[in-house]
Amino acid sequence: MAAPNTPAGIDKEQAFGMAETEMEYRVELFNRLAQTCFNKCVDKRYKEAELNMGENSCIDRCVSKYWQVNSMIGQMLSAGGQPPM
Amino acid sequence: MAASSSENDLKTQVPSSNEAEQSQIQAIRMPSMEEIRAQEVWNNCAVRSVASGVMGGGLGFMMGVFLGALDNPIMQEQMSGRQQLIYNLKQMGTRSWSSAKTFAVMGVVFSAVECVVEKARAKHDTTNTVVAGCVTGGTMSAKAGPKAACVGCVGFAAFSVAIEKFFDRHT
Repeated sequence: MAAPNTPAGIDKEQAFGMAETEMEYRVELFNRLAQTCFNKCVDKRYKEAELNMGENSCIDRCVSKYWQVNSMIGQMLSAGGQPPM
Repeated sequence: MAASSSENDLKTQVPSSNEAEQSQIQAIRMPSMEEIRAQEVWNNCAVRSVASGVMGGGLGFMMGVFLGALDNPIMQEQMSGRQQLIYNLKQMGTRSWSSAKTFAVMGVVFSAVECVVEKARAKHDTTNTVVAGCVTGGTMSAKAGPKAACVGCVGFAAFSVAIEKFFDRHT
């Protein structure tokens, strides 16, 4: 890209900032997802080390629903600009 | 510029503290794809019920052999000792084969029903055991009529719950 230095520098800065924000968002999403589904699905009286089948299918469903809700709300927010009140 | 450099410093500080932690504490190792797949094999209802059926068959065979050895056959005076032995062995074989079949069917049905119910409910409870025990006892006593099926259902469900509580008594 044959452009003068300053616009390229600003673009890199912006891209870096955006990537960092995106990374933080992803990490936060993962942490909240793991915590929510763990608290919902896994009984706190640990009887064994591995996930049994009930917990496994519960976690599958929980993650799937969480992801779907997240992407749905993300789409609504990005499209609408303001949440419909 | 100052803000970005401070952010860069923060970023370089975080990995080094992580490294220090990792040198002292064992890093958490996420399971690899092979390990996940190996665990997923046992989450399959068909695999579990077949394995349970095989184990039930083995148990039934052992029980049949043991009880057949204890059971004294009708001593027939005409047969010699060796013939009596062969006769005894054949009796034991027939009896243990039928016992193995019964136990195998029991194991398959119980395991399949419990697996399906637990996957559908997405909970690990004693309710799964109760339902599976009831269905197993009911199907096994179904030939003797509906009342016998009810009795078999309740009886086998109670037995299954007792066995499960026995195996989980330390937790």
